[in-house]
Amino acid sequence: MSYLDKTIIEINKALKEGKTTPKELFEQSIERAKKYQNKYNSFVTITDKYEEKEYNFNNKLAGIPCAIKDNFSTKGIRTTGSSNILDNYVPVFDATAVKKLKENQINIVGKTVLDELAMGGTGTTGYTGVVKNPYDITRQAGGSSGGSAAAVASGIVPFALGSDTGDSVRKPASLCGLVGFKPTWGRISRFGLFPFAPSLDHVAYFTRSVEDSAVILESLAGQDYNDYTSSNKKVEKYYENLNKDLKGKKLVVIKEIIDSVYDNKVIACFNKSLDELEKCGAVIEYQSVDEKLLKAIYPTYMVISCAEATSNNANLDGIKFGNRQDGASIDEVMFNTRTKGFGEFIKRRFVLGSYALAKQNQEKLFLRAQKVRRLIVEKVNDLLKEYDAIVLPASGDVAPRFDSQSEKLSDNYLIAENHLAIANFAGLPSITIPMGKKEGLPIGINITGRLFDEQTTLNIAYALESKLGYKNMMGGNK
Amino acid sequence: MISIEELKDLANRLKFDMSEEEYQTLQKEFEIILKQMDLIGQIENVDTVEPMTFPYPVSASWIREDVEQEGLEIEELMSNIKDRMGNFIKVPKVVG
Repeated sequence: MSYLDKTIIEINKALKEGKTTPKELFEQSIERAKKYQNKYNSFVTITDKYEEKEYNFNNKLAGIPCAIKDNFSTKGIRTTGSSNILDNYVPVFDATAVKKLKENQINIVGKTVLDELAMGGTGTTGYTGVVKNPYDITRQAGGSSGGSAAAVASGIVPFALGSDTGDSVRKPASLCGLVGFKPTWGRISRFGLFPFAPSLDHVAYFTRSVEDSAVILESLAGQDYNDYTSSNKKVEKYYENLNKDLKGKKLVVIKEIIDSVYDNKVIACFNKSLDELEKCGAVIEYQSVDEKLLKAIYPTYMVISCAEATSNNANLDGIKFGNRQDGASIDEVMFNTRTKGFGEFIKRRFVLGSYALAKQNQEKLFLRAQKVRRLIVEKVNDLLKEYDAIVLPASGDVAPRFDSQSEKLSDNYLIAENHLAIANFAGLPSITIPMGKKEGLPIGINITGRLFDEQTTLNIAYALESKLGYKNMMGGNK
Repeated sequence: MISIEELKDLANRLKFDMSEEEYQTLQKEFEIILKQMDLIGQIENVDTVEPMTFPYPVSASWIREDVEQEGLEIEELMSNIKDRMGNFIKVPKVVG
């Protein structure tokens, strides 16, 4: 038995009682990271550098090992964004989220693989190779934060940092049996996180329990002068205030999204979850949303995110930093650097973004996508005037196999597999937790709450987790 | 349908190139995305609302105190540059 197999709250108790030490946890974590690297490919870099310090175990994060997605700047630790263009990039400052974790005496064991520059949902496009699902290595861990998900699901760390622009933490959480939380846009500073689509980007993270998720939020939340979109809203005592009593809470299920889920086991687990939520005192109702709006989520997301990404990644040219290639002129240097440095998948996304922004297409594509975004957000916020949260299956099925193909124009793909982006459009707090298994593979449920009401969102997840018993889940052989 | 030449032009303006096979994949992908975008055009009242650029109204309603801070050292700022001459970034000759 290793204390690494416990949740943060349990590990903290063991540390307080002297049953384990931060050094022991760190060394075991590094050992596992190395042992599983060939199997799951969670990491771009394993840090292997332990520094002894005076720990204060009244802080629940003190001495806890964690992994960081490789698109967060880490001072002195190579940070690639899983892109060849940044293969040699070593940041000279810490992202605010990383700085805060360090202030909380957390120990970083490594930087995790992502879909290249966080653009993708499969965990297969990072330049160091695909990430494999710890529950079944013939299946995807999901993305873009796939390496972080695999590191937590395989028991290497009890917590990992990720980022979520469309569903990049909440979807892999569903596929890997984890708790994945994306708080309100503005709740956690994004300073030092490589920007992908800033109007949609969120700092998010994986844990193996809702309690741990509440603890992490307290440490990461808060205003930051280095990020003008960070909010000055008061940071609550999320862990202390966790409450399983849902009496008086009203939850809504969007009927058309349920109709787009074809898998019977997912529906059965979801219905069981609704029963359990009712037992905790919640009232559940079904409401309709225009199917055309729901089918528009994916194309709207693609156009907005690719357009923002095209602009944000224009600085990757090899001149001031990055993997510069030779050329006879500055122009040729940039051209060769970007041609060699970017993978095929993100090049395609950049071209799409640029096409949507071109003067002749802007009205029909980019601006129209932004208008649809408003219609979707207004509809969802209308629902949240009456209801405390929206509850839905996080995914239409279990983790897909690497060779599986989706029918990109089907309801199942457009709605069931992409509706989580609603919470990015609206900036709402949104959490995925496990709700069951199908043939040994995890299935997740998603709860999305009101702006800055992380506490209610966490409470609903906390109540459901305690009823369902899917807590501290791990796949593979630890 | 969007032509390979158009796609190549867009890519080159973004300062990169792709293989012929990759352009063909992109062309197929565009066909699907543009069909998906047609779904957006079918939404009623879509052009009667303002484009949304942030998840909720954001205003920089606070201004930080003007406190003196330590910046990064030049050596740190230059540490990721491949080719340098003193405190300058070295690149191929720009003017004749």
